[in-house]
Amino acid sequence: MTVRHYEDRVVTAFLYCAVFWALLGMVAGVWVAAELVWPTIDFGIPALSFGRLRTAHTTLVLFGFGVSALIATAIYSVQRTSHVRLFAPGLAWALFWAWQLAIVLGAASILAGWTSAKEYAELEWPFDIAIAVAWVAFAVIFFGTIARRKVEPIYISNWFYGALIIVVAMLHIVNSLALPATLGKSYSLFAGAQDAVVQWWYGHNAVGFLLTGGFLGMLYYFLPKQAEQPIWSYRLSIVAFWAFVYTYIWAGPHHLHYHAVPEWVQSLGMVMSLILLAPSWATMVNGIMTVAGAAKKLRTDPALKFIVLALAFYGLATFEGPMLAIKSVNVFSHFTEWTIGHVHSGALGWNALITFGTFYFLVPRLAGVPLYSTRLANVHFWLALAGTMLYVLAMWGAGVSQGVLWLSLDDLGEVRFSFNDVMAAMQPYYLLRLLAGLAFLAGTVLMAVNLAKTFAGRPTAVAMPPAGRRA
Amino acid sequence: MPARFSLLSLGKILFSPAEAFQAVADESPPASRVFFRFALWIGLLPPLFAYVGTTLFGWRLGVEPVFLPQPTVIAICLAYFAALLFGFVSSAVVARWMAVTYDASQSLGRCLALMAIVGAPLAIGSIVHLFPHAFLNVLVLVPVLIWCMYLLYRGLPVVLGTGPNRGMLMASALIAYLFVAFVSLLGITVALWGSGIGPQIGT
Repeated sequence: MTVRHYEDRVVTAFLYCAVFWALLGMVAGVWVAAELVWPTIDFGIPALSFGRLRTAHTTLVLFGFGVSALIATAIYSVQRTSHVRLFAPGLAWALFWAWQLAIVLGAASILAGWTSAKEYAELEWPFDIAIAVAWVAFAVIFFGTIARRKVEPIYISNWFYGALIIVVAMLHIVNSLALPATLGKSYSLFAGAQDAVVQWWYGHNAVGFLLTGGFLGMLYYFLPKQAEQPIWSYRLSIVAFWAFVYTYIWAGPHHLHYHAVPEWVQSLGMVMSLILLAPSWATMVNGIMTVAGAAKKLRTDPALKFIVLALAFYGLATFEGPMLAIKSVNVFSHFTEWTIGHVHSGALGWNALITFGTFYFLVPRLAGVPLYSTRLANVHFWLALAGTMLYVLAMWGAGVSQGVLWLSLDDLGEVRFSFNDVMAAMQPYYLLRLLAGLAFLAGTVLMAVNLAKTFAGRPTAVAMPPAGRRA
Repeated sequence: MPARFSLLSLGKILFSPAEAFQAVADESPPASRVFFRFALWIGLLPPLFAYVGTTLFGWRLGVEPVFLPQPTVIAICLAYFAALLFGFVSSAVVARWMAVTYDASQSLGRCLALMAIVGAPLAIGSIVHLFPHAFLNVLVLVPVLIWCMYLLYRGLPVVLGTGPNRGMLMASALIAYLFVAFVSLLGITVALWGSGIGPQIGT
């Protein structure tokens, strides 16, 4: 029987699109950051108004950049950990075109004013159906490949990617249940507080299983590959996986502290969020200890630097999250810029950096040539670090100030500072955040140039699965 | 042992950190000396500056200043001092614990000296607390913080006697701890404010 090569062309295609959506999504992010400093730069155009452009920003970076990167890396790694060519490569191409079309039309629909008004799930019902179908195709491709594997154990990265596929399907379908009124408008099947509970069950687990679980799948495959070291403790990775899956699903209500949902639901969300620290940090320790054995590679491998730093930010974000879920902290931090800083310490520091590191590993292998410029990658590293740090520090400063100002009462017990006063006080921080965003975007532009120069029109290199069956 | 690590070496620590790192590596000062002759005193500066600034000018958060009653200011400054000392000692202890993994020196004195040299610019930079305008403090302390991070990456391999690559990894792991320590401080602070210790806020 002839052994057929891995299907990597579709990986390259997803990767190209991930970089494109990263650039576009970050430009949108920088623009909305600038609108908070100079509110008139929407020029009266509805599509450029803060509400629409901010939603387009999150949609592009989460589902355009993040999911494209996850699908690319899942397809690349599942073939190699299973020692077989991808199951149904034609379906993978269909998934590629469907996903990219959904992002293009979805972003356009948001800019046109369509929205379900559910955070991180704003796309209207026609897109929800399309996404569900595409996601099922992803499941068929991924689990079909696992089913045909020639290696008996299912490697840990595949458990995380598998959890991403199953749980996101469940969350997306349940949270999107709605009654369509017109092509561009529907009404959620859930009402009032129930809608809020379902929405944050979705919202927090999208953070959990997509931004954490999915990217942990990426970490578990690409970190040992880059470090040329096995995972420090495979047993710990399995224990952390099951603890993570069990605990995360309960944590959503911490988004609804002091809202009109039962007190016990809020407390349950808080306690489960605190417990979540254990599996999150077990993975961080596993990652740090794996890299510790590969110190000598740091000098030559820019990709490893990104991963080391991503682990540090992962540690910060997964500690800060449970802390912000404590009710006595949340009463102060909720709705302030602190939350935005927390999200970005995860999104920029963890998700983006681990993806950048993975791309710097992946592209030379897909192109079959060394990276165009290690120096550019090193400059990118420092821009990304500076951008993330500045962003997080600016939002910490803004958030704590905002919290004090909002909660300050006058002698009569009335709110002491008006909304306008507080917004005016935030201006310098918003300017600092804009600079941070520009630095991070500039680094991403350098990466795009570097990766494009590395490919330079080359076809995707052909790689073969190992011959023979292994136990 | 000629252990000379004290407040008198502050100039060298601030302006020739590379020499200071090398001196610690050569002298290996005892932990008690680093703590009692240097860290304890330099750690007093931020709460002192904060006390003077808060009393004279009030907290400037972008609108009218917030003045706090004297007992509250004193309590906040004492808590600030305790948190700084705890952060300093715990970072050194964590560094010593990590040293096993990264094949670095496990001398507590060296670990304390490293954290003292790395933290010294922040302690001096805290002079900006004399005018507690929140954004001004962010603006001044962010570049100082970046300088401190640079010092950590630069000094760790020298002071703890490990290679530059392992040093880089260990410094990154320590930064993860420092992030967490800092954000814990923020969390503890606002939880205390919420329970009535600190500025009068309506939670």
